[in-house]
Amino acid sequence: MWKLLKNDFLIERTNKKNMIACLIVAIFVFGFFSYTKIENSQRLIDEKASEYQSVASALTKFQTADAMDYGNGSDLYYNLLQQQRYVVNQSMAMKVDRPQLYLESGIKLAELRANAFDMEGYEKVATNLPSRTENQLDSLFYQFMDRTGMVVTQDALSFFPFLLDLFMVLGSFWFIFMSIFSCGILIEEFHHTSLIKGYPVSFDKYVLAKCASSMFWVGILIAEIFICSLPFIYFYGLGDANYPVAIFDGNFKVIPTIEYIGIALVYIILISIFTVLLSVILNVLLKNMYLTLFVQLLLFIAPSLFPSLVSLVPFNPFNYMNFTNLLNGHSLELAEPVELEMLHGLIYIGISTVLMLIGVKLFFTTGKLKKV
Amino acid sequence: MRAYFKFEFIQFLFNKKNIAIYVILLFLACFYALKIAPSYDPIEKVDRDEIEARFLTREDFLNNVVIDENSYPLTRFAAAIYPEWNEYDKQRLDALDSNRLREYAGSTYKWYEYSDYMIFRNGNGLLYYNPRYYTAGNLYATEDGHYAYMYSASRYKGYAQGDSELSMDVFEERTALQTLQRLLHGYLPIILLVCCILFTADIVLKDKRNLTVIKGFPISVWRRLVVKGGVALIGSSLTIIPLSIGFIIVAIQHGMGDLNLPVPIFSYEARAFTTITMGEYLFQNVLLMLFWFLLLISLLLLLSIQIRHEFANLVLGCVVVFAEFYYYVRGLGFVKEIQWYPSSYVQVGQIVAGYREYLNNSASLTFENGIAVMSVCTAIILLVTLIISKTKRFKYL
Repeated sequence: MWKLLKNDFLIERTNKKNMIACLIVAIFVFGFFSYTKIENSQRLIDEKASEYQSVASALTKFQTADAMDYGNGSDLYYNLLQQQRYVVNQSMAMKVDRPQLYLESGIKLAELRANAFDMEGYEKVATNLPSRTENQLDSLFYQFMDRTGMVVTQDALSFFPFLLDLFMVLGSFWFIFMSIFSCGILIEEFHHTSLIKGYPVSFDKYVLAKCASSMFWVGILIAEIFICSLPFIYFYGLGDANYPVAIFDGNFKVIPTIEYIGIALVYIILISIFTVLLSVILNVLLKNMYLTLFVQLLLFIAPSLFPSLVSLVPFNPFNYMNFTNLLNGHSLELAEPVELEMLHGLIYIGISTVLMLIGVKLFFTTGKLKKV
Repeated sequence: MRAYFKFEFIQFLFNKKNIAIYVILLFLACFYALKIAPSYDPIEKVDRDEIEARFLTREDFLNNVVIDENSYPLTRFAAAIYPEWNEYDKQRLDALDSNRLREYAGSTYKWYEYSDYMIFRNGNGLLYYNPRYYTAGNLYATEDGHYAYMYSASRYKGYAQGDSELSMDVFEERTALQTLQRLLHGYLPIILLVCCILFTADIVLKDKRNLTVIKGFPISVWRRLVVKGGVALIGSSLTIIPLSIGFIIVAIQHGMGDLNLPVPIFSYEARAFTTITMGEYLFQNVLLMLFWFLLLISLLLLLSIQIRHEFANLVLGCVVVFAEFYYYVRGLGFVKEIQWYPSSYVQVGQIVAGYREYLNNSASLTFENGIAVMSVCTAIILLVTLIISKTKRFKYL
């Protein structure tokens, strides 16, 4: 087995595909850096400015303009008026650098919004305001910051905040990247079947060795992400590894940046193993690299095309492939809300990986390899 | 050469991957036509209730307000701007009630023009565009509303002055041709370009498998590449066939539309819209798409004979198509010369409509520049390929 692995590593070392993948990852990291640099210098202030406009235009949907306590406005109308005030407070607090005021107004704003959801006529302003989940996440974030006395920052370029943003983006399309990377994993073997049949190991062992060497390269790619981000420490500092991020993992809660990155890494590695094994199976079944890729991508987008599938089959591992959406509580906002939990995702992906492994071990023999 | 073309083309058509792409496109087209298109909910729709509610409230205000030297300035402001505004709303209501669509188009054009003038120039913080532009998280809601109102004004002006047959479906841009226009404005070009990459990725490298046979053909490498490029181009153009199925479904549901329908085109220099006909719009789109296909195909041919790996073809092709997402920030064209990058022209429909000029604050992202930049790039790549393939040391695959 060890010799086989060594053999695979030697072959993979000169594989152009791996070099190109490394190049692409590097381009991605540096490109993302330049994107972050132009986009987000004042992101909190910009966000608040747009929020103000949204609330103001929600207010125009009310015919009444009597804002007094004894006026004829509805509860929701007053609620929105107060929201507007706190949004302005937050924006000013950011501009004159008073983080504590920002947090206090934020907490009150989130409370007001939480009350507004159950008020009469909320549907007509719903698109102008954050959803229930987003509000919940915001609220938790503000409360946590307030409790621990941490300082709000707009910094997005130092090491940890940058990595956080990077992994949030990666979460959405790591599966796609991996399927392109691994879709041809066994295709070469189909062209040299006699060679493979000559190896003195069983086919499942051979496949395992192949997967292991692929995963080794995935490891290198992940390491590369960190290495490419290292220069930011020199230019912009380390940033705060404990800066909180609000997530939904079954419950709403706040975790430090470093933990988020950890979860992302676990997901990325599991998704990679899953995709590689799926590629192996589809390769043997379909005997075509592109068909493998298409089937994988279709499976990936199926939950978005048919959202009712998610509540129907919550244990479908493809519901969990986009872990950024998963941790944002995206599934709570579907037409039929489902609570997709972070841990369950790991379990379902893990179980399907084991099932695929068993499938490979039981059913795949070199007899399946026929020249295409 | 003709025999070789036939040989390549038949291989192309019976390639499992290519069949799969056509099938997937067919599925997506049907999915769009049956599921997404019917639920299209435009912001600028024909909504009698909305017009009436606004009209009655303002009418009520105008009838009861008394303007004298003690009036609050905002009250004066409202009393000054509402009469004309209401006049247009009244005309719209009357035209709708008596089903005189061309008249409705005429007064709606004036309504949009007046509204935009009031909101954008005079209404800062007081007047707003349709609230649906101000969705949570949209940083550029006012700009979006401004563009949409100018666009609608120009569109309705075209309806009022043109002689196309009008209907509610035309007003809400639901007819098949207008749906196509909206799609070209959206993600359809990117889908087609990705299909083109997938078609071309293996067209040279598949020869690796039977190299000895292929090498026996009495045809030079350069000619071989040209034929392969031609086949890929025809194959990419054939994506029209599965898409037209979806087109026909939409046409049955909402009518076909008319090639003479006006399509508003924004010009950054004039800061105003003009209209061209739908036929012209589609023709320009098709032309730009063809140039894109040529660019991608020549790029992938070059990569195929240099790097010789399908993964490289796929990924680097996608990098070219998606590069804009990296550097795109609203208003960037004002400070950076992005009109020299071919990737700035990916959103073909938006380039033709001038929307990219609006987004980028740049007068240079025009259709003509796009054609020029892309033909120069294609020519350079083809020249490099030609030189490489003619050198003595070059070995085909």
